Amino acid sequence: MATEAAVQPRTALTIASARRWLKLNLFSNRFNSVLTVVTIAFVVFVVYQLLKFVLVDAEWGVINANRRLIAIGRFPQGEEWRVWPPVWLLGTLIGLSLGLWSRITAFGLAVILLALAFLFGLMFEGTNALLAAVGVVLGATGYLGTQYGRLSPRALALAERATRIGWIGLLPLTVVLLLVAGGVRTSLWGGILLNVMLATVGIAAGFPIGILLALGRTSSFPVIRIPVTVFIELIRAGPLIAWLFLARFVLPSFMPSLFALDELDIVVRAMLVLSAFTGAYIAEIVRGGLQGLPRGQVEAANALGLNGLQITTLIVLPQALRSVIPALVSQFISLWKDTTLVFGLSLFELLSVGQATLAQTDFIGRQTEVFLFVALIFWAVAFAMSRLSARIEGQLGIGTR
Amino acid sequence: MATLSTPAEPPPPFLRSSKGRRFLIQAAAAGVLLLFVAYLFDRASKLELGLGFMDERTGFALANQWITTFESNDSRWVAYGAGVFNTIRIVAVGIVLATILGVVMGVARLSSNWLVSRLATVYVEVIRNTPLLVQIVFWHSVVLLQLPRISEAVNVGEVVYISNRALAIPWPQERGSLAVVWVILALVALVVAAWVRNRRLVEEAETGRSTHANLYGIGVFLVLATGAYVATGLPVGIDVPELTFNDTGTTQNYVGGIKITPEFAALLFALVFYTGSFITEIVRGSIQSLPRGQSEAAAALGLSGYQRMTLVILPQALRTMIPAVTNQYLNLSKNSSLAIVIGYSELFLVSSTILNNAGRAIPTFTLIIGTYLTLNLLISAAMNWLNRRVQSARL
Repeated sequence: MATEAAVQPRTALTIASARRWLKLNLFSNRFNSVLTVVTIAFVVFVVYQLLKFVLVDAEWGVINANRRLIAIGRFPQGEEWRVWPPVWLLGTLIGLSLGLWSRITAFGLAVILLALAFLFGLMFEGTNALLAAVGVVLGATGYLGTQYGRLSPRALALAERATRIGWIGLLPLTVVLLLVAGGVRTSLWGGILLNVMLATVGIAAGFPIGILLALGRTSSFPVIRIPVTVFIELIRAGPLIAWLFLARFVLPSFMPSLFALDELDIVVRAMLVLSAFTGAYIAEIVRGGLQGLPRGQVEAANALGLNGLQITTLIVLPQALRSVIPALVSQFISLWKDTTLVFGLSLFELLSVGQATLAQTDFIGRQTEVFLFVALIFWAVAFAMSRLSARIEGQLGIGTR
Repeated sequence: MATLSTPAEPPPPFLRSSKGRRFLIQAAAAGVLLLFVAYLFDRASKLELGLGFMDERTGFALANQWITTFESNDSRWVAYGAGVFNTIRIVAVGIVLATILGVVMGVARLSSNWLVSRLATVYVEVIRNTPLLVQIVFWHSVVLLQLPRISEAVNVGEVVYISNRALAIPWPQERGSLAVVWVILALVALVVAAWVRNRRLVEEAETGRSTHANLYGIGVFLVLATGAYVATGLPVGIDVPELTFNDTGTTQNYVGGIKITPEFAALLFALVFYTGSFITEIVRGSIQSLPRGQSEAAAALGLSGYQRMTLVILPQALRTMIPAVTNQYLNLSKNSSLAIVIGYSELFLVSSTILNNAGRAIPTFTLIIGTYLTLNLLISAAMNWLNRRVQSARL
């Protein structure tokens, strides 16, 4: 009874407040009313056209028929087993991380289910669907276990530790799995796999490079500071695609023949360029963090008797890096988008796979479907990362201090 | 006693003093650097480094030319120049349009109208998180190449034609020899109008009476420019595009006006929407960083929402956003190199074609990077000048 009585006025209130909300937010004056009507017309038109295309007009057969190419490119038949363990680990880590440091809202759950329905409807079939399901089950177990498992504080701490180590170990494990025991040459990597590998290797190598460059640029030694500054500014002056072309045409003639470095695969050369390029940009981000650090920190560390190396690694870097985490995630997003540029090197990444499917006689004229799909994949990853960045920003309290 | 007799600590040997360590570290770094540079020079000396090949005949034709009249018999320098001009063309138009879009969407993002601010947010989140290259290819092959063929070109009132070969629009065309004179006179009229406007603004500030400065400025410009136009004998006309037909009566091509090719348009749209989404966030950020009191005080003075935005909020926000926007302009100019994928013949496409033909990688790359560096420095210099002017302006 009590609850019903409480509900009754609330509904009435909701209708009144809905009217007030509409008046306040959509029809506050004549200009706003006109704007609202025009915007509604525009939104309805766009959404209608989009839904009509996606659900009625489009023929998604082109994606379905090429799902292997889209996922892994020209990866040799029979070697697919190398890809699955990293996918499973990734699923587990996502589940664990969400369980440990976050919570899936109803909306988030809907998005995840939609994404899974999309993936299983379009990308996985037969054995692959089963193998992919393993990853989903692992992720769900990780999430439910940490969120609802009533773990002891010690077990939770252990799980957090394992998750951190897992994230750090994911990339080395993937590289090793792809390359060990008569592995797959980098030139045969393709599709989404290639984009992911280029972006993660680029950021993983670019991060330490960036820190070293930032320290070099703020160094008090002119012999170090000047060349580092020239290097950073030179890299940032040219477009990435020019540097990638440099990797293709010029780099081989400058590599020493030591360890057959002059015969490096074009994919590896592209990774080198992406790392150096990302490093130069990260250096500027980290330099911002270094300069934002109060002087007192270094002076206090000096007073405690720490030496230069200790001050840098124990006092300066941890604080500087913490404050630039969101900017670093943005850099990763931009690197993820920039992996499309290896298109120019005739590498078989996702966008070029899309372009290639359009040459198949069955699918001529399907460019709208293909490019919408390609855009959606890139967008989904980048958007998820940007949400993550905003979350970290909120948790660190950056900008509110 | 013991403490007194302790002799002063001898200074450490030079190499163990802090000065000595600095010297050692720098010497080591310099040594490594020298070795590295020597290695690079050694490698480079085995390659051809001269720019002599740029004087040779180019041997390929360029599409997407406007004003430039490059032909395949011209030297590679001329081709390169045409490419640089095409880059400057797209960058200039792109910067202007991206700024307008960014400011409009940035204001929309903070609109009190819930729907408008949501729409602006969706625009930013969709465009910013999708690779530019995908957007360029999308505009090119999904939107612009799907337009009707030229034989079925959409005819907008006999003045604008839309087809997948090009968008043809009317364009000014000089009719007499005095066109240049008129352009110069019009520029003089602009300067005079600006002076008149400034004078009236000063008067307004001193007396407090409204002097209608903008109205006077525009009026002075229109009167002077029209007068000059008549005096020089109507030297500039409007060239309207027309369709040409072959013997069987099907449409063949456009004549006259100006043709905006799908390549130019695709690159322009993609660059403008992409860069615009970043500028939107910069504008939003700098508006939000203004103290709330500014908007409240303006409201208390009785200014309307539009006046608050254009007279109080934006002028102040613009001051803080110039450095960040400059970065986006530099990104836009570098991103224009992605045109290579759809074949808009700008600097990078032209030079990589030259590279393919002549095979002189190092000189060509030095040229490419040098040109982008120069372009970026010019943009930075212009924006720094603007920044200094804006920062020193009276409020």
